[in-house]
Amino acid sequence: MIFHACDIPEDLYYDIERDVWIRFDGDVATLGMTDVAQTRCGKFAAISFRDVGKNIAQGKTLTTIESAKWVGPFPAPFSCEIIETNEAGFGKDILLANKDPYGVGWLVKVKPTNLENEKGGLSTGNEAVERYKERIKKLKINCLRCID
Amino acid sequence: MSKKIRLLYMEGVSPLRSQTVYHAVGYAMKADTPNTIIMVSPNGPYVCIGYHQDIQKEVDLDYCTQHNLPVYRREVGGGAVFLDNGQLFTQWIFHKEDLPASLEERFKLYIDPLVATYQELGINAILRPINDIHVNGKKIGGTGAAQMGIAEILVGSLMYTFDKKTMSQVLKVPSEKMRDKIFESLEAYMTTMSEQLGSAPDRAMVKDLYMKKVAEAMGAEVYDGEWTAEEEAMAQEIDARFTSDEWLYQKGQLHQQGVKIHADVHIVEAAFKAQGGLIRIIARLREGRIDDVTISGDFTLLPVFALGALEQSLRGSAATPETLKSKIEEAYYRLGIQSPGVTPADFTTAIMNAVTPPQAA
Repeated sequence: MIFHACDIPEDLYYDIERDVWIRFDGDVATLGMTDVAQTRCGKFAAISFRDVGKNIAQGKTLTTIESAKWVGPFPAPFSCEIIETNEAGFGKDILLANKDPYGVGWLVKVKPTNLENEKGGLSTGNEAVERYKERIKKLKINCLRCID
Repeated sequence: MSKKIRLLYMEGVSPLRSQTVYHAVGYAMKADTPNTIIMVSPNGPYVCIGYHQDIQKEVDLDYCTQHNLPVYRREVGGGAVFLDNGQLFTQWIFHKEDLPASLEERFKLYIDPLVATYQELGINAILRPINDIHVNGKKIGGTGAAQMGIAEILVGSLMYTFDKKTMSQVLKVPSEKMRDKIFESLEAYMTTMSEQLGSAPDRAMVKDLYMKKVAEAMGAEVYDGEWTAEEEAMAQEIDARFTSDEWLYQKGQLHQQGVKIHADVHIVEAAFKAQGGLIRIIARLREGRIDDVTISGDFTLLPVFALGALEQSLRGSAATPETLKSKIEEAYYRLGIQSPGVTPADFTTAIMNAVTPPQAA
C-alpha cells in the first residue's frame, strides 16, 4: 500500500509509534526504519551500531542515527539480543535506508527475548496499513526516497 | 501543549556542564516534566565535537593540550566547534508532541525567537532554511536537533562574540594554507552581535528579550525555574561519561566534505598527481560555484604570473567539469600558459576531486 507516497508493505509487522518494521523468520527478526521514519530523519550522515551479542531492552537504542539535521535512536520494538548488523552495508552506502528502507536498508537482526509479553503493540496487514495511514495524516507527511 | 515553559538560566557554568545540562534534562525527562529552555554560557573556552566525529581526525589535539582547551563530544550531530563565554547557548528540551513533526517546521519554531531577538536589537537576521540564521549573507550561529530519551532537543546560541582565529586553530587540517583559508572564510561569512552593533549588548537585557520573544512565538508563559535533584544526578552521570576516554575517543563514522562555514559555503581540498607534478587545490565553494581557489604544487607553470590569473579566472565559475575545463583552457589561450606535463584537464580533475571526492575503491 502506498499512502502519501509512503510505502506500507502489508506482509511486515510494525511498531507504529516507534516507526519500526519487523520481518519475522523463525526465531530471528529483521528490523528497519519505515518509509515514514527515513523520510522524517532525512539523509543519513552516519550510523553507529551496538555490538552483536548485546541484549537490548524494549524501547532502548539499537543503533544511533545521524542525519544532516538530527541525531536520534533507532529503538528496539521488543527486548532482544542483537545477532547481526548491517554495518557493512551502510559502510559502503550510507544512504541505504533512504533508498530502500524495507530491503537492503535493514538495520539489525535480533532474537526476541520476551516477545510473548511484548508483542501487544505490534500490528500487521490491513490493521497496520489503516493505523499507519492515520499516523501519516496526523504527521502531515509525504514520503521521499533518495535515488542516488 | 502546556502553556508554561521552564527557563533555567545558567551563566558561567563549567565548559563541561554547558554541554551536559541539556543532555541531563533530556534524559531525566518524564511525562510530567515541563518543556524547558536552558540559557547557558560556559566560564571558559573549549572544543565541542559532533556525535559521530572522530576526534583524532577532526581536532588538533596538540594545540588543544598546549592551550588548555578541553574537548567534549556532544550527542548532537555536526562538526567540531570552538566555544567560549561569547556565546549564550539556547537549549530547548521539549516533549515531542509539543513540537512540529517535520524538522523544517521544528527548526523554524526554534529559530524564530532567536531571529526576533536579533531583529529587535537592530540586527538584520533572517532564517536561512533549514536551520541557519543569516545576517546579510553571513551566519550568526548554527543550530542542531536530537532525540534523548523521550525528549526532543534543539540547540543553538545567541552570538555575542566568536573567536574565529582560535576556531581555525583547533581544527585538524592538512595544511596551514587550508587553515588560513578557513580563517579567511570565517571572517567573510560569519558574524556576531558585537560586529553588527559595534559592541556586545547587555546580557541580562538579551535574556529578557529572548524570553519575551519565546513567549510571544509559543503563546506560552516562560518562568524562571529550578534545576531538580534528579536532573543534577543525571548531569553528574553524564559528566562522568563525557570525560571518559571511551566516550571521547570512540571511532566516528561521520565523513564530511571539507569544512562547512555555513549552509552555502564549504572549504574543500584535494591533490591530484599529474604527469608533470602534484597539483594541490584549496577551494571555497558557495552555492555550487567556486568562490575562491588556491592552486599550488610542484609543477611548472609559465609565465610566473599566470597561476594567480588562472585562480582569478575560476572565481564565480560553476563547479562542473565542463565549465572549469572551458575556463582553464580559455586562460591558457589568453595568457599563453606553458605547463609541461600538466594540462587543463589535470587542473579540472584536481578541482573536481575537491568538489566531489572520488569514492574509495
